[in-house]
Amino acid sequence: MPNRYEMIQRRILKDRVAQGTMCGLTVFAIVFLAAMAVGLYIKSVPVLENHSLFSLLGSSEWKPMKGEFGFLPFIAGTLWVTGLAIIMALPVSLLTGIYLTEYARPAVRKMVFPALDILAALPSVIYGVWGMLVIVPWISERVAPHFIEFSSGYTVLAAGIVLGVMVVPLLVSLFIEIFTNVPVELREASLALGATRWQTTRKVVLRKTIAGMLAATVLAVSRAMGETIAVLMVCGCVVGIPSHLLDACYPIPALIANNYGEMLSMPLYESALMFAALILFAVVLIFNLLSRIVLYRLERRSI
Amino acid sequence: MAIEIRDLNVHIKDAHILKHVNLTIPEKQITCIIGPSGCGKSTLLRTMNRLIDSTEGVRLEGKVLVDGADIIGSGAGITELRRRIGLVSQRPCPLPMSIFDNVAYGCRINKMYKRRKGLIYAVQKNLKAVGLWDEVRGRVRTPASRLSIGQQQRLCLARSLAVEPQYILADEATSALDPVSSKTVEDLFVALKRDYTIVMVTHTLHQALRIADNVVFMYLGEIVEAGPAAQVFHNPQQELTRNYLSGVFS
Amino acid sequence: MNVIRSKRIEELFFKVLMLAATMLVFALVISVVWTVLSRGSRAMSWDMITKLPGGGFYIGKEGGFLNAIVGSLYIVGASACIGLLISVPVVFYLNVYLKKTSRLAYAARLAFDVLFGVPSIVYGAFGFAIMVFLGLRTSLLGGIIVITLLIIPIFIRSMDEATRNFPHDILDASFALGATRWETLKVVVRQIAPGIATATLLSVGRAIGDAASVMFTAGYTDSIPTSLSQPAATLPLAVFFQLSSPVPEVQDRAYAAALVLTLIVLILSIGGRFITSRFSKNKL
Repeated sequence: MPNRYEMIQRRILKDRVAQGTMCGLTVFAIVFLAAMAVGLYIKSVPVLENHSLFSLLGSSEWKPMKGEFGFLPFIAGTLWVTGLAIIMALPVSLLTGIYLTEYARPAVRKMVFPALDILAALPSVIYGVWGMLVIVPWISERVAPHFIEFSSGYTVLAAGIVLGVMVVPLLVSLFIEIFTNVPVELREASLALGATRWQTTRKVVLRKTIAGMLAATVLAVSRAMGETIAVLMVCGCVVGIPSHLLDACYPIPALIANNYGEMLSMPLYESALMFAALILFAVVLIFNLLSRIVLYRLERRSI
Repeated sequence: MAIEIRDLNVHIKDAHILKHVNLTIPEKQITCIIGPSGCGKSTLLRTMNRLIDSTEGVRLEGKVLVDGADIIGSGAGITELRRRIGLVSQRPCPLPMSIFDNVAYGCRINKMYKRRKGLIYAVQKNLKAVGLWDEVRGRVRTPASRLSIGQQQRLCLARSLAVEPQYILADEATSALDPVSSKTVEDLFVALKRDYTIVMVTHTLHQALRIADNVVFMYLGEIVEAGPAAQVFHNPQQELTRNYLSGVFS
Repeated sequence: MNVIRSKRIEELFFKVLMLAATMLVFALVISVVWTVLSRGSRAMSWDMITKLPGGGFYIGKEGGFLNAIVGSLYIVGASACIGLLISVPVVFYLNVYLKKTSRLAYAARLAFDVLFGVPSIVYGAFGFAIMVFLGLRTSLLGGIIVITLLIIPIFIRSMDEATRNFPHDILDASFALGATRWETLKVVVRQIAPGIATATLLSVGRAIGDAASVMFTAGYTDSIPTSLSQPAATLPLAVFFQLSSPVPEVQDRAYAAALVLTLIVLILSIGGRFITSRFSKNKL
């Protein structure tokens, strides 16, 4: 029979070892984030040595063969598409979120939540297929003829719509989470004073959650910026700064994805694409950090 | 007669919460509802201003007459009804805005004053009515959440009064307060009964004993006994009431 | 009274707007799913999912995309297993070992949330950079590594959510009996098993649909990989590449592949929801 004391020692040792391993794994996540930044930076050093940051970001000359890398068209493309997507998705998501938390009966919620789940679960490439089959023809046949002579349909507008649909489930679920954190008593206090439900929502619920809604929007923006395949399939991929909604565009993720095969042949080209990834990473990192910290604060305060 | 409840039944999902409640609440007096927790006191209170509607799976039957008009089944008039019936809840619940805006909130929503002057006057008047004016004077623009709990509760009362209700419902309005603030709020209610009809759910018998004009004793969703305070406390007709009272008094 | 009327009109106006927005969302879901299902089922045939691409496949001849199905399953299966092995201990560590106010827990949760937000294309680019550094070519192994990295934050976030509401009384009860924290895990596992199952299904659903990261790292091929160093095809890329072909028959295959991918994801998503609703009653 083993010594009782020894047994306890062994159990405690086991606990310690497990703790060490787990702690290591957890710390690894934080380190990994830093490693990603460093790795992408190291990879983009060659292009940064040859060009000034200003010319990289501010020039619109994109001639990889000649070694000219101006990212402006791609940055502009990203901003156009993301901006459009958020402008369209935000009101719809906000209204849906309010409806589901403040108005809808449980039966309605039971119908809409699974639908949102599906919308969130569908892969990017499926949205791309949908965009090509539904949105692109719609734009080229129905929308564009009113404004310009010809459009293939592969436009900023198409990319914006597809992307907008993709961020709706994220926004709605964030909004619902934020709104449900508002205590019921606040709503009742307002209702008891003779406010209607909408007045209560606007003056109490929305007012109380303004920071959270802002954070959620920033989160959605960063998600939209990095979306690749769906946008790539409908954006047209023409290098140039888009001047209106029916222009083709070429956002940064599409650029990276489209050229991964060729980039090895030219060292600077590879470096330039890695730099593009670094820009994306940096923006997303900052946006995410800011909005998550705000959301954490709100969550903790409500408890 | 002010509020008259006739054969009110409230079901929430499968539970029969209020059973055949008949009650008359007289004007310009304090009516206290007492009883063990879970007996339906709060439900009864929340039925009177129909806040009960936001509970899931609720079903109302019977009549609740406020000034002779039945409020059950009338969908659209609810918001106006709620304006006429103020509510002070268990925990003070300042809205996320300044002290001034809290009191002005209801006035603005109901567009009660065309000019700003009128609004400012109304806010002042109601803050004075709850004895808060001297304490917050000069900082009415600061967030209401910075007030102490007792001050917050009085602010909520001022906020209710600002929409010029005829009735005030109070749901254990002093239970979250310290003894001193509790006394202040209690005295306030006594002072207010000159102008308002007050219905209180109270968790302490002592409070009911101190301020009630009428007492309603509820047990398991039914009204066991109701009547003038002196009669219910000193000469209860029902065995159940006697037991409940003696359990606490002895 | 005028005020009452204007209040009521405002209320009605916004209610209609909200209903419209909700219906729009609903209509979008139906539109996306219906488009893919109807277009895909027209192109679907038994050959598609049982055969490899034959000779002349890309000009419209015989064959299917079994290579992509198998490739996707290989990559996601392996990544999910490795991912679980790494994430489950991390979730336990965050919830059982660390205190609620721990700074490490805060930082780690923040890091995982941020990692969750990092676009898959950046994962792909980073993975590719590492592979070049190590001298690896696009391969099954590369795909597995990147998808594992991608799936871990998703796993951890969703499992953490399921574990956070775990009643601490149970932990205390176990500690009080003299169990170490490690031994207490057994109790926790049993409690949150449905949560883990749901999280797994949802994360796998996300991982299987991710195209941008495997594009760089797993590559694409017409055959089923037989070793870790060979490139592997994946379903999303099968959709993407074949759709860019001008040949209608090849495009048809893309639609069929899209159908298969959608069905897999739908099944995973519905399965996840089913487990959640079956085993936890108080959750929406």
